[in-house]
This record gives sequence, C-alpha cells and structure tokens, in this order.
Amino acid sequence: MKYTTFNQVNNDALQEPMFFGNPVNVARYDQQRHNVFEKLIEKQISFFWRPEEVDVSKDRLDFQKLSESEKHIFISNLKYQTLLDSVQGRSPNIAFLPIISLPEVETWVETWSFFETIHSRSYTHILRNLFTDPSAVFNDIVMNDEIKRRATDISRYYDDLIFATQLWQTQGEGSHKTEDGSIYTVTMRELKRKLYLCMCSVNALEAIRFYVSFACTFAFAERELMEGNSKIIRLIARDENLHLTSTQHILNLWAKGKDDPEMAEIAAECQDESLAIFMTAVEQEKQWATYLFQHGSMIGLNKEILCQYVEFIANERMKAIGLPLQFEVNGNPLPWMNNYLMSDNVQVAPQESEISSYLVGQIDAEVSADDFGDFDL
Amino acid sequence: MTQRKTCLIKVVSHGDIEQHPEHTVLQALEAQRLDVHYHCREGFCGACRTRLLSGEVDYVIEPLAYINDDEILPCCCRAVTDIELELA
Repeated sequence: MKYTTFNQVNNDALQEPMFFGNPVNVARYDQQRHNVFEKLIEKQISFFWRPEEVDVSKDRLDFQKLSESEKHIFISNLKYQTLLDSVQGRSPNIAFLPIISLPEVETWVETWSFFETIHSRSYTHILRNLFTDPSAVFNDIVMNDEIKRRATDISRYYDDLIFATQLWQTQGEGSHKTEDGSIYTVTMRELKRKLYLCMCSVNALEAIRFYVSFACTFAFAERELMEGNSKIIRLIARDENLHLTSTQHILNLWAKGKDDPEMAEIAAECQDESLAIFMTAVEQEKQWATYLFQHGSMIGLNKEILCQYVEFIANERMKAIGLPLQFEVNGNPLPWMNNYLMSDNVQVAPQESEISSYLVGQIDAEVSADDFGDFDL
Repeated sequence: MTQRKTCLIKVVSHGDIEQHPEHTVLQALEAQRLDVHYHCREGFCGACRTRLLSGEVDYVIEPLAYINDDEILPCCCRAVTDIELELA
C-alpha cells in the first residue's frame, strides 16, 4: 500500500490497529484508541532538558586523574551509548512512522526519537569538554569491532522491517526481484512478523543494553567522579525508562489481543524468537563487560558484578513482557543503581542545579568553605 | 474528608505490615526493610510491579507503566483495605 502523508479515507481512527491499518490523517489527540501513548507524550515533554544546562566542566579534571583502565571503561561506555542513541534517534521514525495508523502512536514515536537526539547531542557535549578534539572517539565507533558487533545486531531487525516495508509500499504483496537479482516474498503476515521481532529487539535494547551502560556511568558517580556526566546520564535514564514502558505496552497490547488480533497470534508464534532476542542481548552485554574490564576493573564494579546485574535486570524485563525467567538471581547486585534511577533525584528546577548558562563565563561550579569566611550569623 | 485508616499489608512468606496512612505501599515495605526493586518511584517505569493477591489500592499518582490486572505499582499507591502481596 502506497504511503500517503494525509490519508483522505474518512476512517475512524478509534477502530484502527496501532500498525498496518490506514495511514494516519488528522493529528488529533482529543480521543485515543490507546490513551497510554497520549500520557507518555505528555510525560516525556514534561521531562524536556538540554545538555548545555548541565555543567560538565569539572569532569575534565576528574578524567585526567583516572587510571588508563578506567579511562578505557569510561570512553568505551560513552562510545557504546553514542551508538545506541545514534540508532534510536532515527530508527523508530524510519521503521515505524510509515506503518503507524494511530495519531497518538505516531506522535509518541516522534517524541521518543526526538529525545534520543537530545541524548546524542549530550554525548557531544560531554566529549567536547573532555577532549579538545573528540573526533578520535567518534571515528572509532565505526571502526571498533566490539562496537560494530553490537551495531549489527541492534540495527538488523530495524533494517529488515524497513526494507520489507519499502517493497510492500512500492510493489505490494507478492514476490519481487530487486536490483541485485535477489527475490523477496512480501506478505502482510511476514511484515507483521518482522514488526513484532523488531519491537522485541527495541525492547531488549531499551531494557537491558542501556542499563549496562548506565551502571558503568553511575559506578563513577558513586566514587564522586565524573559527576557532570552522571547528571546527564540520569536525565537520559529517566527518558529511557519511559521509552521502555512504551515498548512494554506495545508488546503487551499485542500479546493480550487488545490491538490487532493477528499480532496476538504472531506474538504466541514468535515466543521462542522473542526469548532468543533477549538472550542474545544478555550474552552480548556480558561480552561487552569482558571488553570493558579487559585492562582491569574499577572500585565498585567489575566484570562479575556487571554480568550479575545483566542477569538481574534481564529477569525483571522478561517478567514484564510475560517471558519465562532464565536466571537464578539473589536480589539486585547493584542496589545503589536505584538512587540514580529515581525520578525525584533528578534535579530539574534551573535554580537548583548548576546550570552553566546561568553562570557568567561558565566558570563557577564549586563553592568552597572559604567563600563563607566573612559571613556572620 | 474521611480519615485514612491504617491498613494491613500481608506479604506472602514475610508476614504482616501496618501501612502508615500517609505512606505508599512501597514506603511501608521499605520501612520493614523488605527489598523491593524500584527505579522511578513515580509510576512510569514499572520496576516495582508486584502481584496483588487480594484487597484494594488507590493510586496517588496514576500509573503509566504496564501492569497486568492482578498487579500493582507499590511506589505510587496506598492500600485502602487490607491487602495481600506476593513479592518476587
């Protein structure tokens, strides 16, 4: 079916499925088939923030004091976060928007992706502060094998869905020969299957992959190092929490038959594949932990604890979408993570946080006891 | 305004806890040093998702995270009757 930017069929959006129904026409939010997306949009917009508001200037000094193995951990972690948000800043738009049928879902995806671009911009903000020229770090993201391996797996399901959608929208269902001579068979059922697997993969990304990187960032903050960076990552983590909630909602709406009945069948059919996607993500994150700590661990975090955390968080996330638990875990191995993921602890009022744009010349990040020297009560 | 009464939270294999009328279920559990997983404490992440076996709760903040019909988000609700919970 050809995509149209304003579908003139006078359809009732309340009867459409989230995906693969009529293309969206009027962007109206007074009524919703699934009102959770409207609430997610409101919540996400209320979280709005800009990376430049967070003063990261002190981090430069901290960074210079880190050991070589800690520098490796910190920078590799940032590279990985940059990769994740590079993918997430565009892919939901390109993969999902052409096939969405509900205005609230469409706007949610746009809002979601927009926030991922804020995250990407904040990595540049952080790196610019640490290095006079951050190019070497960015360039390595497309050359580093460890990162590339993850990129392949993360983008695979998106690319698959995008390609099949393009074939379907230009040539319809049937067998089609492409330029390189390959033949692809496009059916609605297969498209929906690709969509389902893609959503599972995005869910695993938002559920596990991001949290491994957060754990590394917050482990530095636990030692009162790189705190500007940690403030930014807290804001990012709060957003990612919300994104995860949205993919869990989509998967559950499908599985419980509350949206497209065919998607409920597909969800049941694909349970093993969905589990495999999760398990692959867990395995890859454990390999990543090995790479991170290859030159030595840091106080408070090592390969073993990080791997335990991966298993703990994987169990929690699988439970949320009705998958059987796969790991024996005894509680949260990194209990301090909760303090950083708490919404209350994210300072958002400008007057309460160290906002560099509030400071003339952006220099003052610290107040020492001496500043109160001539202060009498 | 009606006075909130003190409700009892029964936790399977942990025993009974009294919920201070101003506390959320999560705060009541924490006061007893029970280990409950949480992130946002505002109902949007779903990390504290817990099974409610019986009783009723009302929400201080409307939950945004996905919960099944038999689940609650302890971080943003209070028991309005005696309730029974199963911690994971």
